[in-house]
Amino acid sequence: MFKIGIDVGGTFTDFLLTRDDGTSSIYKVLSTPKDPSIATIQGIEEMAADAGLSTADFLKQVTTIVHGTTVTTNATLTYRGAKTGLLTTRGVRDALEMRRGIREEQYNNHYENARPVVERYLRLPVDERLDYAGAEIEPLSEDSVATAIAEFQRENVEAVAICFMNSFANPAHEHRAAELVRAAMPDAFLSVSADVAPAIRFYDRVSTAALNAYIGPVLTRYITSLIARLDSFAFEGILLIMASNGGVIAPQSAMDRPAMTLLSGPAGGPVAGLAFSQGQGYQDCITCDMGGTSFDVALIKDGEPLITTEGEINRLRISLPMLNVVTIGAGGGSIGWIDEVGLLRMGPQSAGADPGPACYGRGGQEPTCSDADLVLGYLDPDFFAGGRLKLDPTAAARAIQERVAKPMGLSMEEAAGGMYEVINVSMAAAVREIAVNSGYDPRDFPLVTAGGAGPNHACMIALALSIPVILVPRESSIFCAAGMLRSDLRHDFVRTYPVRVNLIDHERYGRLFREMREAGRGLLLSEGITEDRITYQPSLELRYLRQYHEVNVPAAWDEVMSGDLSGVVSRFHTAHDTLYGYSLEDKGTPVELINMRLVAIGDTEKPSLTAEPYVGTDPSAARKGTRRVYLPNEKRFADVDVYDGMELRFGHRLEGPAIIEQVNTTTFVTPEFSVVVDQLGTYTIYLRERKEEVLGRVLGEHAATAGGVER
Amino acid sequence: MSNDATGATGATGSTDQGATTAAGAAGGATVVDGITIDRVLVSILQKRLKSITEEMSIAMTRTTRSPILCEAKDFVTGLYDAEGNMLEQTENLPILAFSLAPVCKYIIDYYGDDVHPGDVIFHNDVFSMGNQNNDVAVYKPIFHGDTLVAWAAVKGHQADIGGNVQGGYNPLATEVWQETLRIPPVKVYDKGVLRRDVWEFIFANIRLDIVEEDMRAEIGSCVVGERGVLRIIERYGLEVFEAHKKFLFDSTERMMRQEIRSIPNGVYTGEADAFFDGQTPGSKSTIRVKVTVDDGHITFDYTGTDGQTPGFVNGTYASSASATILTFLQMVNPDIPHNQGMVRPITITIPEGTLLNAAYPAATTYGNHLCPNNADAIMRALGPVIPERVTAEWGELLCSLTTGKDPRKSGEAFVDINFMGMKGGSGGMYGTDGYDHIGMIDASGGVLDQDYEMFEQQTPHLLLKHELWEDSAGAGRWRGGVGVEMEYKVGGMVNLVTFGDGDVEASRGAQGGKEGTLNIIKLTLPDGTEHIPTTKDLVPNVEAGTLYFQQAGGGGGWGDPHERPAEKVLRDVRNGLVSEQKARDDYGVVINTSTWRVDEVETAKLRGSAS
Repeated sequence: MFKIGIDVGGTFTDFLLTRDDGTSSIYKVLSTPKDPSIATIQGIEEMAADAGLSTADFLKQVTTIVHGTTVTTNATLTYRGAKTGLLTTRGVRDALEMRRGIREEQYNNHYENARPVVERYLRLPVDERLDYAGAEIEPLSEDSVATAIAEFQRENVEAVAICFMNSFANPAHEHRAAELVRAAMPDAFLSVSADVAPAIRFYDRVSTAALNAYIGPVLTRYITSLIARLDSFAFEGILLIMASNGGVIAPQSAMDRPAMTLLSGPAGGPVAGLAFSQGQGYQDCITCDMGGTSFDVALIKDGEPLITTEGEINRLRISLPMLNVVTIGAGGGSIGWIDEVGLLRMGPQSAGADPGPACYGRGGQEPTCSDADLVLGYLDPDFFAGGRLKLDPTAAARAIQERVAKPMGLSMEEAAGGMYEVINVSMAAAVREIAVNSGYDPRDFPLVTAGGAGPNHACMIALALSIPVILVPRESSIFCAAGMLRSDLRHDFVRTYPVRVNLIDHERYGRLFREMREAGRGLLLSEGITEDRITYQPSLELRYLRQYHEVNVPAAWDEVMSGDLSGVVSRFHTAHDTLYGYSLEDKGTPVELINMRLVAIGDTEKPSLTAEPYVGTDPSAARKGTRRVYLPNEKRFADVDVYDGMELRFGHRLEGPAIIEQVNTTTFVTPEFSVVVDQLGTYTIYLRERKEEVLGRVLGEHAATAGGVER
Repeated sequence: MSNDATGATGATGSTDQGATTAAGAAGGATVVDGITIDRVLVSILQKRLKSITEEMSIAMTRTTRSPILCEAKDFVTGLYDAEGNMLEQTENLPILAFSLAPVCKYIIDYYGDDVHPGDVIFHNDVFSMGNQNNDVAVYKPIFHGDTLVAWAAVKGHQADIGGNVQGGYNPLATEVWQETLRIPPVKVYDKGVLRRDVWEFIFANIRLDIVEEDMRAEIGSCVVGERGVLRIIERYGLEVFEAHKKFLFDSTERMMRQEIRSIPNGVYTGEADAFFDGQTPGSKSTIRVKVTVDDGHITFDYTGTDGQTPGFVNGTYASSASATILTFLQMVNPDIPHNQGMVRPITITIPEGTLLNAAYPAATTYGNHLCPNNADAIMRALGPVIPERVTAEWGELLCSLTTGKDPRKSGEAFVDINFMGMKGGSGGMYGTDGYDHIGMIDASGGVLDQDYEMFEQQTPHLLLKHELWEDSAGAGRWRGGVGVEMEYKVGGMVNLVTFGDGDVEASRGAQGGKEGTLNIIKLTLPDGTEHIPTTKDLVPNVEAGTLYFQQAGGGGGWGDPHERPAEKVLRDVRNGLVSEQKARDDYGVVINTSTWRVDEVETAKLRGSAS
């Protein structure tokens, strides 16, 4: 029986096919942006052909398909969502557009505001009002709702978002308005803020509810079409959708809360990174994924990816919990250019897939990161994509010479080396940002590196930040697809209850937690999870009185329901001290509860990772030869050993500088690092000073006998 | 106080010229102080320094408690070299930013050799290069071994810093001591040891306990900066760092000179009025600027500006020079790095005793808010010369704050600055409409509104309206940014303070664009009587149930409104930002509101006859 992870990217759609015996295969097909389900089916057909089966027979043996999609992301980025209307409290209909009055580029008078997903003439006021605690000040005027509905109908609105002031404290008005809309517009997609993201902060909620409505019809159409195609082959397994929170959800859950899929694409990465680093006993890691146009970084701490409730897409706020992924415009296609001060810059513009880097020989004139990587010897012109795409070093050199070397008065090689280094600094800054923003030191985390271009740059990123250990999994080129198969079902809930902790009304508090638990249980049962595989993770968002930012403190179900929160409060003090350098425990400052959260998790069956047998330390069987490669810290070229990555086995050790080649990715090991292959086939790249610790971790019982190949 | 003390002037402008020329030549190795310049390392250093100041900024946002800091981000973070030259800054509120380097130089002069590892210095004094009393700075020297290599600094608008009135805005003040506790440079940590007596002395003079926490946060942020700089120096070595820094300053200066050279040489003058000094109804003061552009150097000379006022409507040298720089920066390439090289080709002369540089011991808390008037004067000087790079005028600032006790929380004290009500539109510009609801030019979109629901949690007020204001923007080929209307019901007795301008003259249009709209704040008391506070006012004991209403004006338009594409006018009319009438009168566009199409025939008639 098979499981398939599918990650639809901008250029390629990646597949990981796993079998019951723990073996797996990688597939990549060109994406079909107009209808991404076409590429999805193409890949499945290729797999079926390789298995010698008809697509229908093959699919009969597939128990699970997990699917990450960028359809909602792209619809938002390109403003191709549904025609959407917003019903909101009279007086605040522009919050969505004003975005609290920010202009991100202060000195740039040509910088325009982000376009709202609902035009002002479709943001219609309703007469109603609740106060800060949810008590009614003015009843809902059903007439004003009816007037708005009539306008929406006249305008053929396809989706309606509803967001009223203080509905986090009392959803009654929103729910009644929703009933009226549903009755009058049964085909419209409906997004109710109190159901989508019922937490305090009006702008965050209205923005989330509006985005949710805007992409609702798009996601519904896509999933319906995908299911229809699978149905045509009589697929009877389970289809799951990757969600922005790093979990998977049933198609129906995704269609009910489409905003949960806005980060579906990169969301598989952290889970994959965790699986590979847990193989070596790590519970923390930073994952980075460098593709053609973007570089995505995420951080995992204590076995859990960092989650943010202050995410943005295209400068529009989403307050649903989503993986905290920092994305910058740095990839193989990033273009090198000289700014007005004469400084060398890389990206964020990318040559994309068409025309692509100059070395693709498809007419690209701009020098890109891939061109530099080729000129510097990191890429083999005859073995790119396993030899399917011949690279043109002359075209790469010409582009670098003309656009970078000449204007800066450098040699072509110096210019290429500079491009390589500048993009590495940008990526290192992104890695540092995610760690520092959450109060962590990046040096304490192994750097799990993925994406076609990532392993080429990993050592330099690590050196810039003094990160001592890098992990490059064999499946690094289809990392997210691998992560999707390892994700649990996951649903997030939130209730706002602002109150000093010592004044909590435990009746109300308990009711809110039980309400969230029941909702989670119901959803998971409907997704086919049995009771014994469900767990609940409650947490409390606390702050010192009068602070504005909360700290999320996880707790066990029994603890939050026990009536004694002293343990939680004590952990809050500690966490505040760790994150921000001080605690006010001694001063006796009151602690305030803002939000109560609950994650309901359904444990899925995951493909097993098979440990390979130990074969000793000598990698010479995998050695393919040497080639001239640029050593960036020494600023010179040298002959460097090249290894076939697929032939490297558990126990093999080698020293940098070295190149490890696989079909879809190349790893460059700089002279500062050594490599040992772990039992999952992951290349573990480490600074020599960490040798004993790493070898102990990776080789375990074999470490004692593995010391023989020192240089 | 001599103006030469500021690093923001061009006083040091010509000293590094030799190196600049040598470095400017393409090809060949550049050597600075015996170190061969690695061009790539220059790029890397600039990015690293920038990202360190950003990390310092994040630390501030996450740890501070006053909403002025953690919500509105009314603070700046920066790094300076051992001589106090600007290395990089993150300027959430630019008006604070360009006084950090001058104060750093002042502190260096003041302490001489008496600066040691572990020292932490506070400063707010406007008579030693501070910009505003409430903007309190922390400076921390950074040592590599025994060598002073750099400074980290943070300056934030503190919720209170003593003086007669909580929050610091006191229109009745006539001298500095009525406004604030003066903090000339003072060490609160000496060689790493807290000076408890000094610390307690300072905070004994401040009303709110959160200020103490927020100053701790400023120190923490400086520590973040210190660690970052030391990591760089440990990696590359001090000599390499110093040589590359000089080269970076020089190339930045070259870029700035290039930008200035794109302005025709000449002498240009502009003036603008600041209305009402807070004491004499109907008063006004005129700012006069003479801008001289001379082959890559630019001078802003304010000689001829009216004298200082008796009240608190007075600039300090630092606040006025910051205003000049941030206004000029909007006319050049926005990507220019913010370091000492950027300000070298700029000279700013402001005679002492004038509105923009009041003499000791004047009250000056209002000084930051003369920025919009100063900006208008500069734009009036340069607008005709480089029309495509200068915006029409921005909506002026008019702000209010309320202090009181929250009856819902057994009388707990609260302070709220009405950020959401004060922010009008920016001016239109060649190629781009003004930015709606961006607020004063001194922040340029760096200061955020309160979130509505947090506002209702933190204050007893009830928000009734906060929306874009129809017909507030000046018409133009590129229209001005739209202003806002805001209304709330006061909950509990409060004291209201107003500060600002813009109720006499609206922001002007440019190149045939029309003007924006006026600011107003109006109170309707529970008994129905209306009260319009002045633009610098203290209104005590405002009763619960009073309606507070505010309009923040839109920006001026740029270019002939008849040249605005009719489709864009249609979109604004459809969205209720421009009325049908104004579309017809100002833009010459007739809209059929039943089909939502442009009436081409009628529009052609209007536009044909008008042009």
